[in-house]
Amino acid sequence: VHPNVSQGCQGGCATCSDYNGCLSCKPRLFFVLERIGMKQRGVCLSSCPSGYYGTRYPDINKCAKCKADCDTCFTRNFCTKCKSGFYLHSGKCLEKCPDGLEANNHTMECASIVH
Amino acid sequence: RLDANLISVVPERSFEGLLSLRHLWLDDNALTEIPVRALNRLPALQAMTLALNRIWHIPDYAFQNLSSLVVLHLHNNRIQHLGANGFDGLHNLETLDLNYNELLEFPGAIRTLGRLQELGFHNNNIKAIPENAFVGNPLLQTIHFYDNPIQFVGQSAFQYLPKLHTLSLNGATDIREFPDLKGTTSLEVLTLTRAGIRLLPRAVCQQLPNLRVLELSHNKIEDLPSFHRCQRLQELGLQHNRIQEIGADTFVQLLALRSIDLSWNDLHFIHPDAFVTLRSLTKLDLSDNRLAALPLGGLGGLTHLKLQGNPELSEPFAKDSFPNMRVLEVPYAYQCCTYGSCGGFFRASNQWEAEGASPEDEDPHRRALELFPGHADNHYDLEADDLQMDLEDSKLHPTIQCTPSPGPFKPCDHLFE
Repeated sequence: VHPNVSQGCQGGCATCSDYNGCLSCKPRLFFVLERIGMKQRGVCLSSCPSGYYGTRYPDINKCAKCKADCDTCFTRNFCTKCKSGFYLHSGKCLEKCPDGLEANNHTMECASIVH
Repeated sequence: RLDANLISVVPERSFEGLLSLRHLWLDDNALTEIPVRALNRLPALQAMTLALNRIWHIPDYAFQNLSSLVVLHLHNNRIQHLGANGFDGLHNLETLDLNYNELLEFPGAIRTLGRLQELGFHNNNIKAIPENAFVGNPLLQTIHFYDNPIQFVGQSAFQYLPKLHTLSLNGATDIREFPDLKGTTSLEVLTLTRAGIRLLPRAVCQQLPNLRVLELSHNKIEDLPSFHRCQRLQELGLQHNRIQEIGADTFVQLLALRSIDLSWNDLHFIHPDAFVTLRSLTKLDLSDNRLAALPLGGLGGLTHLKLQGNPELSEPFAKDSFPNMRVLEVPYAYQCCTYGSCGGFFRASNQWEAEGASPEDEDPHRRALELFPGHADNHYDLEADDLQMDLEDSKLHPTIQCTPSPGPFKPCDHLFE
Protein backbone atom coordinates (compact mmCIF):
# COMPACT_ATOMS: atom_id res chain seq x y z
CA VAL A 1 0.00 0.00 0.00
CA HIS A 2 1.39 3.45 -0.88
CA PRO A 3 3.08 4.99 2.23
CA ASN A 4 0.88 8.11 2.08
CA VAL A 5 -2.38 6.13 1.95
CA SER A 6 -3.67 5.45 5.41
CA GLN A 7 -6.02 2.60 6.20
CA GLY A 8 -7.99 4.03 9.08
CA CYS A 9 -10.27 6.17 6.87
CA GLN A 10 -13.35 7.89 8.06
CA GLY A 11 -16.81 8.28 6.58
CA GLY A 12 -17.35 6.50 3.30
CA CYS A 13 -13.71 6.50 2.19
CA ALA A 14 -12.26 3.31 0.83
CA THR A 15 -8.75 4.80 0.73
CA CYS A 16 -7.60 8.17 1.99
CA SER A 17 -4.54 10.19 2.89
CA ASP A 18 -3.96 12.59 5.72
CA TYR A 19 -3.37 15.47 3.36
CA ASN A 20 -5.96 14.82 0.61
CA GLY A 21 -8.80 13.20 2.55
CA CYS A 22 -10.66 10.49 0.61
CA LEU A 23 -8.92 9.10 -2.46
CA SER A 24 -11.65 6.61 -3.31
CA CYS A 25 -15.09 5.77 -1.92
CA LYS A 26 -16.92 2.69 -0.72
CA PRO A 27 -19.43 1.24 -3.21
CA ARG A 28 -22.46 3.35 -4.19
CA LEU A 29 -21.08 6.60 -2.69
CA PHE A 30 -20.23 9.68 -4.74
CA PHE A 31 -16.72 11.12 -4.78
CA VAL A 32 -16.59 14.93 -4.42
CA LEU A 33 -13.60 17.29 -4.24
CA GLU A 34 -14.23 19.95 -1.61
CA ARG A 35 -12.21 23.15 -1.77
CA ILE A 36 -10.91 24.42 1.56
CA GLY A 37 -8.94 27.62 0.92
CA MET A 38 -6.14 26.66 -1.43
CA LYS A 39 -6.50 22.97 -0.65
CA GLN A 40 -8.81 20.32 -2.07
CA ARG A 41 -9.99 17.35 -0.02
CA GLY A 42 -11.85 14.31 -1.24
CA VAL A 43 -15.11 13.39 0.49
CA CYS A 44 -17.60 10.56 -0.08
CA LEU A 45 -21.33 11.30 -0.02
CA SER A 46 -24.49 9.25 -0.51
CA SER A 47 -25.76 11.90 -2.91
CA CYS A 48 -24.26 14.94 -4.58
CA PRO A 49 -24.44 18.36 -2.92
CA SER A 50 -26.87 21.00 -4.16
CA GLY A 51 -25.81 22.51 -7.48
CA TYR A 52 -24.22 19.20 -8.55
CA TYR A 53 -25.50 16.08 -10.31
CA GLY A 54 -24.27 12.53 -9.96
CA THR A 55 -23.26 10.05 -12.64
CA ARG A 56 -22.59 6.44 -11.76
CA TYR A 57 -19.86 4.48 -13.54
CA PRO A 58 -18.55 0.96 -12.96
CA ASP A 59 -15.39 2.16 -11.23
CA ILE A 60 -16.43 5.47 -9.66
CA ASN A 61 -19.49 7.61 -8.97
CA LYS A 62 -18.80 11.27 -9.69
CA CYS A 63 -20.46 14.60 -8.97
CA ALA A 64 -20.27 17.42 -11.51
CA LYS A 65 -21.57 20.98 -11.52
CA CYS A 66 -24.93 22.02 -12.96
CA LYS A 67 -24.99 25.00 -15.32
CA ALA A 68 -24.66 28.50 -13.89
CA ASP A 69 -28.40 29.26 -14.19
CA CYS A 70 -29.46 26.04 -12.52
CA ASP A 71 -29.85 25.11 -8.83
CA THR A 72 -30.40 21.36 -9.16
CA CYS A 73 -30.09 19.16 -12.27
CA PHE A 74 -30.37 15.61 -13.62
CA THR A 75 -27.49 16.09 -16.04
CA ARG A 76 -25.55 19.16 -17.05
CA ASN A 77 -27.98 19.85 -19.87
CA PHE A 78 -31.16 18.99 -17.98
CA CYS A 79 -32.08 21.26 -15.07
CA THR A 80 -34.72 20.30 -12.49
CA LYS A 81 -34.82 23.62 -10.58
CA CYS A 82 -33.59 26.96 -11.94
CA LYS A 83 -31.95 29.80 -10.09
CA SER A 84 -34.20 32.74 -9.22
CA GLY A 85 -35.10 34.91 -12.17
CA PHE A 86 -35.33 31.94 -14.55
CA TYR A 87 -38.30 29.82 -15.61
CA LEU A 88 -37.94 26.05 -16.03
CA HIS A 89 -39.12 24.45 -19.27
CA SER A 90 -38.23 20.90 -20.36
CA GLY A 91 -34.99 20.94 -18.44
CA LYS A 92 -33.92 24.41 -19.58
CA CYS A 93 -33.77 27.70 -17.66
CA LEU A 94 -35.28 30.55 -19.63
CA GLU A 95 -35.53 34.24 -18.87
CA LYS A 96 -38.79 34.32 -20.85
CA CYS A 97 -41.22 31.51 -21.61
CA PRO A 98 -41.60 30.45 -25.25
CA ASP A 99 -44.68 31.48 -27.26
CA GLY A 100 -47.73 29.48 -26.37
CA LEU A 101 -46.68 29.05 -22.73
CA GLU A 102 -47.15 31.35 -19.79
CA ALA A 103 -44.81 32.04 -16.87
CA ASN A 104 -46.05 30.75 -13.50
CA ASN A 105 -44.36 32.96 -10.92
CA HIS A 106 -45.36 30.60 -8.11
CA THR A 107 -43.67 27.50 -9.46
CA MET A 108 -41.22 29.49 -11.62
CA GLU A 109 -42.08 27.26 -14.55
CA CYS A 110 -43.52 27.73 -18.02
CA ALA A 111 -46.99 26.24 -18.18
CA SER A 112 -49.58 25.70 -20.88
CA ILE A 113 -52.02 28.58 -21.19
CA VAL A 114 -55.32 27.58 -19.57
CA HIS A 115 -58.29 29.09 -21.50
CA ARG B 1 -34.60 7.86 -6.52
CA LEU B 2 -34.15 4.10 -6.69
CA ASP B 3 -30.52 4.07 -7.74
CA ALA B 4 -27.85 1.86 -6.21
CA ASN B 5 -30.06 -0.99 -5.07
CA LEU B 6 -30.45 -4.63 -6.10
CA ILE B 7 -33.69 -4.31 -8.07
CA SER B 8 -33.99 -6.99 -10.74
CA VAL B 9 -37.70 -6.62 -11.56
CA VAL B 10 -40.08 -3.63 -11.61
CA PRO B 11 -43.67 -4.93 -11.31
CA GLU B 12 -46.18 -3.48 -13.76
CA ARG B 13 -48.09 -1.39 -11.25
CA SER B 14 -45.05 -0.02 -9.41
CA PHE B 15 -45.58 3.54 -10.65
CA GLU B 16 -49.36 3.52 -10.79
CA GLY B 17 -50.83 6.96 -10.03
CA LEU B 18 -47.53 8.81 -10.36
CA LEU B 19 -48.89 10.94 -13.20
CA SER B 20 -46.66 13.86 -12.33
CA LEU B 21 -43.39 11.99 -11.88
CA ARG B 22 -40.70 13.77 -13.89
CA HIS B 23 -37.31 12.32 -12.91
CA LEU B 24 -36.56 8.62 -12.33
CA TRP B 25 -33.24 7.11 -11.18
CA LEU B 26 -33.04 3.34 -11.61
CA ASP B 27 -29.31 3.19 -12.30
CA ASP B 28 -26.91 0.80 -10.61
CA ASN B 29 -29.38 -2.05 -10.09
CA ALA B 30 -29.76 -5.60 -11.43
CA LEU B 31 -32.36 -5.15 -14.20
CA THR B 32 -31.98 -7.45 -17.20
CA GLU B 33 -35.00 -6.10 -19.06
CA ILE B 34 -36.49 -2.65 -19.71
CA PRO B 35 -39.51 -2.44 -17.34
CA VAL B 36 -41.80 -1.60 -20.29
CA ARG B 37 -45.22 -2.01 -18.63
CA ALA B 38 -44.25 -0.12 -15.48
CA LEU B 39 -42.87 2.75 -17.55
CA ASN B 40 -46.03 2.98 -19.64
CA ARG B 41 -47.78 4.68 -16.71
CA LEU B 42 -45.51 7.75 -16.53
CA PRO B 43 -46.81 10.31 -19.05
CA ALA B 44 -44.97 13.25 -17.41
CA LEU B 45 -41.54 11.60 -17.16
CA GLN B 46 -38.82 13.90 -18.56
CA ALA B 47 -35.54 12.33 -17.45
CA MET B 48 -34.64 8.72 -16.69
CA THR B 49 -31.48 6.70 -16.12
CA LEU B 50 -31.32 2.94 -16.43
CA ALA B 51 -27.50 2.99 -16.57
CA LEU B 52 -25.32 0.34 -14.87
CA ASN B 53 -27.79 -2.52 -15.13
CA ARG B 54 -27.65 -5.80 -17.11
CA ILE B 55 -30.16 -4.96 -19.82
CA TRP B 56 -29.34 -7.00 -22.93
CA HIS B 57 -31.94 -5.79 -25.45
CA ILE B 58 -34.44 -3.01 -26.21
CA PRO B 59 -37.68 -4.42 -27.60
CA ASP B 60 -39.92 -2.56 -30.07
CA TYR B 61 -42.11 0.14 -28.46
CA ALA B 62 -40.18 -0.15 -25.15
CA PHE B 63 -40.76 3.55 -24.35
CA GLN B 64 -43.96 4.08 -26.33
CA ASN B 65 -45.83 6.28 -23.84
CA LEU B 66 -42.90 8.41 -22.72
CA SER B 67 -43.68 11.30 -25.05
CA SER B 68 -42.35 13.86 -22.55
CA LEU B 69 -38.97 12.16 -22.08
CA VAL B 70 -36.04 14.49 -22.83
CA VAL B 71 -33.08 12.57 -21.36
CA LEU B 72 -32.54 8.77 -21.48
CA HIS B 73 -29.35 7.19 -20.11
CA LEU B 74 -28.71 3.54 -20.89
CA HIS B 75 -24.92 3.50 -20.61
CA ASN B 76 -22.99 0.58 -19.07
CA ASN B 77 -25.50 -2.14 -19.84
CA ARG B 78 -25.15 -5.23 -22.11
CA ILE B 79 -27.41 -4.13 -24.93
CA GLN B 80 -26.76 -6.18 -28.06
CA HIS B 81 -30.09 -5.99 -29.84
CA LEU B 82 -32.23 -2.95 -30.50
CA GLY B 83 -35.64 -3.30 -32.15
CA ALA B 84 -36.18 -1.26 -35.32
CA ASN B 85 -38.99 0.52 -33.44
CA GLY B 86 -37.27 0.48 -30.09
CA PHE B 87 -37.43 4.25 -29.64
CA ASP B 88 -40.86 4.92 -31.16
CA GLY B 89 -42.90 7.34 -29.09
CA LEU B 90 -39.95 9.37 -27.75
CA HIS B 91 -40.98 12.50 -29.68
CA ASN B 92 -39.19 14.93 -27.35
CA LEU B 93 -35.97 13.04 -26.64
CA GLU B 94 -32.90 15.29 -26.83
CA THR B 95 -30.18 13.22 -25.14
CA LEU B 96 -29.61 9.48 -25.68
CA ASP B 97 -26.65 7.75 -24.02
CA LEU B 98 -25.94 4.23 -25.32
CA ASN B 99 -22.23 4.27 -24.42
CA TYR B 100 -20.48 1.16 -23.06
CA ASN B 101 -22.86 -1.45 -24.40
CA GLU B 102 -22.47 -4.40 -26.83
CA LEU B 103 -24.36 -3.10 -29.87
CA LEU B 104 -23.31 -4.98 -33.00
CA GLU B 105 -25.14 -2.77 -35.44
CA PHE B 106 -25.76 0.93 -35.88
CA PRO B 107 -28.85 1.86 -33.76
CA GLY B 108 -31.17 2.52 -36.69
CA ALA B 109 -34.10 2.96 -34.29
CA ILE B 110 -32.87 6.51 -33.67
CA ARG B 111 -34.37 7.61 -37.02
CA THR B 112 -37.68 8.43 -35.19
CA LEU B 113 -35.96 10.81 -32.73
CA GLY B 114 -36.56 14.08 -34.57
CA ARG B 115 -35.46 16.33 -31.67
CA LEU B 116 -32.29 14.45 -30.74
CA GLN B 117 -29.36 16.77 -29.98
CA GLU B 118 -26.83 14.62 -28.12
CA LEU B 119 -26.14 11.00 -29.08
CA GLY B 120 -23.49 8.69 -27.63
CA PHE B 121 -22.73 5.12 -28.62
CA HIS B 122 -18.99 5.00 -28.01
CA ASN B 123 -17.45 1.76 -26.70
CA ASN B 124 -19.71 -0.65 -28.55
CA ASN B 125 -19.01 -3.25 -31.31
CA ILE B 126 -20.40 -1.39 -34.32
CA LYS B 127 -18.56 -1.97 -37.63
CA ALA B 128 -20.46 0.27 -40.03
CA ILE B 129 -22.32 3.55 -40.16
CA PRO B 130 -24.84 3.21 -42.98
CA GLU B 131 -25.88 5.66 -45.67
CA ASN B 132 -28.30 8.36 -44.42
CA ALA B 133 -27.60 7.16 -40.87
CA PHE B 134 -28.86 10.37 -39.21
CA VAL B 135 -31.45 11.41 -41.76
CA GLY B 136 -34.08 11.55 -39.00
CA ASN B 137 -32.01 13.65 -36.61
CA PRO B 138 -31.45 17.13 -38.12
CA LEU B 139 -30.90 18.78 -34.72
CA LEU B 140 -27.90 16.65 -33.71
CA GLN B 141 -25.10 18.73 -32.18
CA THR B 142 -22.79 16.04 -30.80
CA ILE B 143 -22.27 12.40 -31.77
CA HIS B 144 -19.75 10.36 -29.76
CA PHE B 145 -18.93 6.98 -31.33
CA TYR B 146 -15.20 6.44 -30.74
CA ASP B 147 -13.90 3.04 -29.63
CA ASN B 148 -16.03 1.09 -32.09
CA PRO B 149 -14.39 -1.17 -34.71
CA ILE B 150 -15.90 0.99 -37.49
CA GLN B 151 -14.63 -0.01 -40.89
CA PHE B 152 -17.28 1.38 -43.23
CA VAL B 153 -19.00 4.78 -43.29
CA GLY B 154 -21.66 5.59 -45.87
CA GLN B 155 -20.81 8.55 -48.13
CA SER B 156 -24.05 10.27 -47.12
CA ALA B 157 -23.99 9.21 -43.45
CA PHE B 158 -23.21 12.70 -42.08
CA GLN B 159 -25.14 14.84 -44.54
CA TYR B 160 -27.68 17.49 -43.51
CA LEU B 161 -26.63 17.88 -39.89
CA PRO B 162 -26.59 21.70 -39.76
CA LYS B 163 -25.94 21.84 -35.99
CA LEU B 164 -23.12 19.28 -35.82
CA HIS B 165 -19.84 20.90 -34.81
CA THR B 166 -17.50 17.98 -34.23
CA LEU B 167 -16.99 14.79 -36.25
CA SER B 168 -14.28 12.28 -35.36
CA LEU B 169 -13.58 9.16 -37.40
CA ASN B 170 -10.37 7.25 -36.66
CA GLY B 171 -9.25 3.96 -38.16
CA ALA B 172 -12.21 3.34 -40.44
CA THR B 173 -9.95 1.64 -42.98
CA ASP B 174 -12.73 0.90 -45.47
CA ILE B 175 -13.35 4.59 -46.11
CA ARG B 176 -11.95 5.29 -49.58
CA GLU B 177 -13.61 8.59 -50.32
CA PHE B 178 -13.96 11.79 -48.37
CA PRO B 179 -17.52 11.86 -46.97
CA ASP B 180 -20.11 14.09 -48.64
CA LEU B 181 -20.93 16.63 -45.94
CA LYS B 182 -23.58 18.56 -47.85
CA GLY B 183 -25.74 20.54 -45.40
CA THR B 184 -23.44 19.96 -42.41
CA THR B 185 -22.30 23.54 -42.53
CA SER B 186 -21.55 24.22 -38.85
CA LEU B 187 -18.74 21.66 -38.62
CA GLU B 188 -15.75 23.13 -36.82
CA VAL B 189 -13.62 20.08 -36.05
CA LEU B 190 -13.26 17.24 -38.56
CA THR B 191 -10.95 14.36 -37.70
CA LEU B 192 -10.71 11.62 -40.30
CA THR B 193 -7.51 9.66 -39.75
CA ARG B 194 -6.14 6.21 -40.61
CA ALA B 195 -8.55 5.62 -43.47
CA GLY B 196 -7.83 5.16 -47.18
CA ILE B 197 -8.64 8.58 -48.56
CA ARG B 198 -6.70 9.48 -51.71
CA LEU B 199 -8.42 12.61 -52.89
CA LEU B 200 -10.00 15.65 -51.28
CA PRO B 201 -12.97 17.11 -53.13
CA ARG B 202 -12.26 20.47 -54.79
CA ALA B 203 -15.31 21.87 -52.99
CA VAL B 204 -14.36 20.61 -49.52
CA CYS B 205 -14.27 24.14 -48.12
CA GLN B 206 -17.50 25.19 -49.76
CA GLN B 207 -19.29 22.50 -47.72
CA LEU B 208 -17.36 23.37 -44.53
CA PRO B 209 -17.00 27.18 -44.30
CA ASN B 210 -16.72 27.11 -40.48
CA LEU B 211 -13.94 24.54 -40.23
CA ARG B 212 -11.33 25.38 -37.57
CA VAL B 213 -9.48 22.06 -37.25
CA LEU B 214 -8.97 19.60 -40.12
CA GLU B 215 -7.05 16.46 -39.13
CA LEU B 216 -6.46 14.03 -42.04
CA SER B 217 -3.28 12.25 -40.99
CA HIS B 218 -2.48 8.66 -41.98
CA ASN B 219 -4.39 8.58 -45.25
CA LYS B 220 -3.19 8.26 -48.89
CA ILE B 221 -3.69 11.82 -50.06
CA GLU B 222 -1.45 12.78 -52.99
CA ASP B 223 -2.89 16.06 -54.13
CA LEU B 224 -4.28 19.03 -52.21
CA PRO B 225 -7.08 21.32 -53.37
CA SER B 226 -7.02 24.99 -52.51
CA PHE B 227 -8.26 25.50 -48.96
CA HIS B 228 -8.80 29.19 -49.50
CA ARG B 229 -12.55 29.02 -48.73
CA CYS B 230 -11.83 27.53 -45.30
CA GLN B 231 -11.37 31.04 -43.99
CA ARG B 232 -11.55 30.05 -40.27
CA LEU B 233 -9.08 27.18 -40.53
CA GLN B 234 -6.59 27.27 -37.64
CA GLU B 235 -5.04 23.81 -37.54
CA LEU B 236 -4.29 21.53 -40.49
CA GLY B 237 -2.94 18.01 -39.94
CA LEU B 238 -1.81 16.22 -43.11
CA GLN B 239 1.07 14.14 -41.74
CA HIS B 240 1.66 10.63 -43.03
CA ASN B 241 0.16 11.04 -46.48
CA ARG B 242 1.70 11.06 -50.02
CA ILE B 243 1.59 14.76 -50.83
CA GLN B 244 4.25 15.82 -53.33
CA GLU B 245 3.72 19.50 -54.01
CA ILE B 246 2.32 22.63 -52.39
CA GLY B 247 1.02 25.16 -54.87
CA ALA B 248 0.75 28.93 -54.68
CA ASP B 249 -2.99 28.75 -53.93
CA THR B 250 -3.10 25.72 -51.60
CA PHE B 251 -3.12 27.82 -48.43
CA VAL B 252 -3.79 31.23 -49.94
CA GLN B 253 -5.57 33.79 -47.75
CA LEU B 254 -5.91 31.45 -44.72
CA LEU B 255 -5.41 34.36 -42.33
CA ALA B 256 -6.31 32.34 -39.20
CA LEU B 257 -4.11 29.33 -39.96
CA ARG B 258 -1.74 28.81 -37.02
CA SER B 259 -0.29 25.35 -37.52
CA ILE B 260 0.38 23.02 -40.48
CA ASP B 261 1.75 19.50 -40.14
CA LEU B 262 2.97 18.07 -43.44
CA SER B 263 5.55 15.69 -41.96
CA TRP B 264 6.05 12.23 -43.42
CA ASN B 265 4.91 13.05 -46.96
CA ASP B 266 6.64 13.01 -50.37
CA LEU B 267 7.10 16.76 -50.64
CA HIS B 268 9.76 17.80 -53.14
CA PHE B 269 8.42 21.22 -54.18
CA ILE B 270 6.82 24.15 -52.34
CA HIS B 271 5.83 27.16 -54.40
CA PRO B 272 7.68 30.36 -53.35
CA ASP B 273 4.35 32.05 -52.57
CA ALA B 274 2.84 29.09 -50.73
CA PHE B 275 3.03 30.66 -47.22
CA VAL B 276 3.12 34.35 -48.15
CA THR B 277 -0.40 35.22 -46.93
CA LEU B 278 -0.32 33.14 -43.70
CA ARG B 279 0.15 35.92 -41.18
CA SER B 280 -0.96 33.81 -38.19
CA LEU B 281 1.28 30.82 -38.93
CA THR B 282 3.45 29.93 -35.94
CA LYS B 283 3.98 26.17 -36.27
CA LEU B 284 5.17 24.38 -39.42
CA ASP B 285 6.29 20.74 -39.56
CA LEU B 286 7.86 19.67 -42.85
CA SER B 287 10.05 16.93 -41.38
CA ASP B 288 10.72 13.69 -43.25
CA ASN B 289 10.06 14.78 -46.80
CA ARG B 290 12.27 15.29 -49.92
CA LEU B 291 12.73 19.05 -49.79
CA ALA B 292 15.89 20.70 -51.14
CA ALA B 293 14.71 24.26 -50.51
CA LEU B 294 12.31 26.11 -48.21
CA PRO B 295 10.58 29.31 -49.41
CA LEU B 296 10.83 31.80 -46.54
CA GLY B 297 8.13 34.24 -47.65
CA GLY B 298 5.45 34.44 -44.94
CA LEU B 299 7.39 32.39 -42.35
CA GLY B 300 8.61 35.36 -40.31
CA GLY B 301 6.14 34.68 -37.52
CA LEU B 302 7.16 31.06 -36.90
CA THR B 303 7.92 29.96 -33.35
CA HIS B 304 8.20 26.22 -34.17
CA LEU B 305 9.75 24.86 -37.37
CA LYS B 306 10.68 21.23 -38.03
CA LEU B 307 12.76 20.31 -41.08
CA GLN B 308 14.79 17.25 -40.02
CA GLY B 309 14.64 14.30 -42.36
CA ASN B 310 15.14 16.40 -45.50
CA PRO B 311 18.74 15.40 -46.33
CA GLU B 312 19.01 17.69 -49.35
CA LEU B 313 17.99 20.77 -47.33
CA SER B 314 21.58 21.73 -46.47
CA GLU B 315 21.60 25.53 -46.69
CA PRO B 316 21.94 27.33 -43.32
CA PHE B 317 19.36 30.01 -42.56
CA ALA B 318 19.97 33.66 -41.83
CA LYS B 319 19.27 34.52 -38.20
CA ASP B 320 16.75 37.23 -39.04
CA SER B 321 14.66 34.88 -41.17
CA PHE B 322 12.84 33.73 -38.00
CA PRO B 323 12.81 36.56 -35.41
CA ASN B 324 10.25 34.78 -33.16
CA MET B 325 11.67 31.27 -33.38
CA ARG B 326 11.69 29.19 -30.19
CA VAL B 327 11.94 25.56 -31.33
CA LEU B 328 13.88 24.71 -34.49
CA GLU B 329 14.69 21.21 -35.74
CA VAL B 330 16.96 21.13 -38.79
CA PRO B 331 18.65 18.40 -40.84
CA TYR B 332 22.24 19.28 -39.84
CA ALA B 333 23.91 20.50 -36.64
CA TYR B 334 25.80 23.27 -38.39
CA GLN B 335 22.48 24.86 -39.29
CA CYS B 336 21.98 25.51 -35.58
CA CYS B 337 25.18 27.55 -35.33
CA THR B 338 23.43 30.58 -36.79
CA TYR B 339 21.37 30.66 -33.61
CA GLY B 340 24.34 30.68 -31.30
CA SER B 341 24.04 27.13 -30.16
CA CYS B 342 27.79 27.18 -30.25
CA GLY B 343 27.93 29.11 -26.90
CA GLY B 344 27.44 32.60 -28.33
CA PHE B 345 23.80 33.07 -27.56
CA PHE B 346 23.23 31.64 -24.06
CA ARG B 347 23.10 34.40 -21.49
CA ALA B 348 26.34 33.12 -19.93
CA SER B 349 27.14 34.47 -16.52
CA ASN B 350 29.99 36.59 -17.87
CA GLN B 351 27.48 38.44 -20.01
CA TRP B 352 25.64 39.57 -16.85
CA GLU B 353 28.96 40.92 -15.44
CA ALA B 354 29.62 42.74 -18.67
CA GLU B 355 26.48 44.70 -17.92
CA GLY B 356 27.56 45.33 -14.33
CA ALA B 357 24.72 43.27 -12.81
CA SER B 358 24.26 39.72 -11.74
CA PRO B 359 21.05 37.71 -12.23
CA GLU B 360 20.17 37.92 -8.54
CA ASP B 361 20.32 41.75 -8.49
CA GLU B 362 18.16 42.03 -11.57
CA ASP B 363 14.86 43.75 -10.56
CA PRO B 364 12.14 41.25 -11.53
CA HIS B 365 9.75 44.11 -12.34
CA ARG B 366 12.24 45.71 -14.79
CA ARG B 367 13.01 42.27 -16.23
CA ALA B 368 9.30 41.66 -16.62
CA LEU B 369 8.84 44.93 -18.49
CA GLU B 370 11.50 43.80 -20.93
CA LEU B 371 9.64 40.58 -21.44
CA PHE B 372 6.19 42.16 -21.57
CA PRO B 373 6.67 45.88 -22.36
CA GLY B 374 2.96 46.20 -23.12
CA HIS B 375 2.07 45.83 -19.45
CA ALA B 376 4.07 48.72 -18.07
CA ASP B 377 1.07 50.93 -17.38
CA ASN B 378 -1.48 48.59 -15.92
CA HIS B 379 0.94 46.91 -13.52
CA TYR B 380 0.64 43.11 -13.52
CA ASP B 381 -2.44 41.96 -15.37
CA LEU B 382 -0.64 38.61 -15.68
CA GLU B 383 -1.09 35.92 -13.07
CA ALA B 384 1.84 36.20 -10.67
CA ASP B 385 2.87 32.60 -11.27
CA ASP B 386 2.84 33.00 -15.09
CA LEU B 387 5.21 35.88 -14.66
CA GLN B 388 7.44 33.86 -12.32
CA MET B 389 7.43 30.95 -14.78
CA ASP B 390 8.56 33.16 -17.64
CA LEU B 391 11.32 34.66 -15.58
CA GLU B 392 12.51 31.19 -14.68
CA ASP B 393 12.05 30.10 -18.29
CA SER B 394 14.21 32.88 -19.68
CA LYS B 395 16.96 32.25 -17.16
CA LEU B 396 17.23 28.50 -17.70
CA HIS B 397 16.66 28.05 -21.40
CA PRO B 398 18.24 29.75 -24.40
CA THR B 399 15.72 31.75 -26.48
CA ILE B 400 15.92 29.21 -29.32
CA GLN B 401 15.99 25.47 -28.76
CA CYS B 402 17.79 24.26 -31.92
CA THR B 403 18.51 20.58 -32.63
CA PRO B 404 20.64 18.72 -33.50
CA SER B 405 22.91 20.93 -31.42
CA PRO B 406 26.52 21.09 -32.55
CA GLY B 407 29.22 19.40 -30.56
CA PRO B 408 32.71 17.96 -30.84
CA PHE B 409 31.61 15.48 -33.46
CA LYS B 410 29.11 17.82 -35.11
CA PRO B 411 31.19 20.95 -35.60
CA CYS B 412 29.88 24.32 -36.66
CA ASP B 413 31.94 24.42 -39.81
CA HIS B 414 30.28 22.81 -42.78
CA LEU B 415 32.97 20.23 -43.49
CA PHE B 416 32.03 19.51 -47.05
CA GLU B 417 32.23 22.97 -48.50
